Amino acid sequence: MLPAAAALIPFGLVCGVDAAAVGASPLAAISLSAIVFSGAAQILATQLYGAGAPLAVIVLTCFVIGLRLAMYSAAMAPHLGAFPARWRYLSAFLLTDQAFAATISRFEASTDKNRALSHFVGGGIVLWGGWQLMTMSGYFLGNVIPASWSLEFAVPLCFIALLGPLLRERPAIAAAVASAVAVVLLAGLPMRLNIVVAGIIGIAIGTLAELALERKTAAQEQFR
Amino acid sequence: MTEGAIKLWAVIVSVGAANFLVRLSFIALLANKTMPPLLTRALRYVAVAMITALVLPMVLTTTAAPSVMAFWPNAKLIAALIALTVAFFTRSTGWTLVAGMAALWLLQYLAA
Repeated sequence: MLPAAAALIPFGLVCGVDAAAVGASPLAAISLSAIVFSGAAQILATQLYGAGAPLAVIVLTCFVIGLRLAMYSAAMAPHLGAFPARWRYLSAFLLTDQAFAATISRFEASTDKNRALSHFVGGGIVLWGGWQLMTMSGYFLGNVIPASWSLEFAVPLCFIALLGPLLRERPAIAAAVASAVAVVLLAGLPMRLNIVVAGIIGIAIGTLAELALERKTAAQEQFR
Repeated sequence: MTEGAIKLWAVIVSVGAANFLVRLSFIALLANKTMPPLLTRALRYVAVAMITALVLPMVLTTTAAPSVMAFWPNAKLIAALIALTVAFFTRSTGWTLVAGMAALWLLQYLAA
């Protein structure tokens, strides 16, 4: 999970810069990133707050942006059922795009759920701590990394690093292609709803492709 | 506290609470329940479908309506595809980062 933490440096800085720009106190800025712990929601919340949007609009927008986290929550649920409630609550709090993407295949592959959980929680705490450090640096120092370095590109690259190895089986490729097409075609949806809708479409297509593939191999077996 | 500061704290607490509840939702609802086999199957595609949906808008860089121009000539998209190829073959985050950043810098240098 360390590369994920490194990729969050430019993202966290931007969150801190944004919080300073709307005139949040240092305590408010650190509380925002400590409690919300989601770059997308933080940037949206600060920008909408800066634009004078009503509280209800800010909360609703951040909620919709956060809907993808519900998908991660569902994917994590079967692996966390055996653990005490406090571990499930802690895992839920630490559930981010990066932590999920970096650990879910570990949960699926390993028979030792304890190890996968310690990897998730340990990595999650490191990400949380690093995140606070970066938003504070952004708040006090401004964006110290020159824009021409395009370091923010490290964020999608970390996801791509996790995506590549997943594309080995045909249903997974179908899921990715469907999701990619959907996210572009639905780009006009408000509040970035295209991301979560495209995700659901991809999941459906992947599952259907798996079922179809199974039926095909079953039929071939019959004729042998 | 000024009115603005009170509102800011209201934003922090309510956005934080909403975010936590979304994260907790299915972990709390589905814990210790046996899931239908079809759902268990579907959940295995959450990672691949969601990561794709998350990444693509980041590398297309336009916020406007979709158009063919968003794809070409887009240095980030080309660098992302190179990185995806490297990720597929090496399974290494380090090499993917190196390849993707190097490709982006090179393409930006060539375009400048």
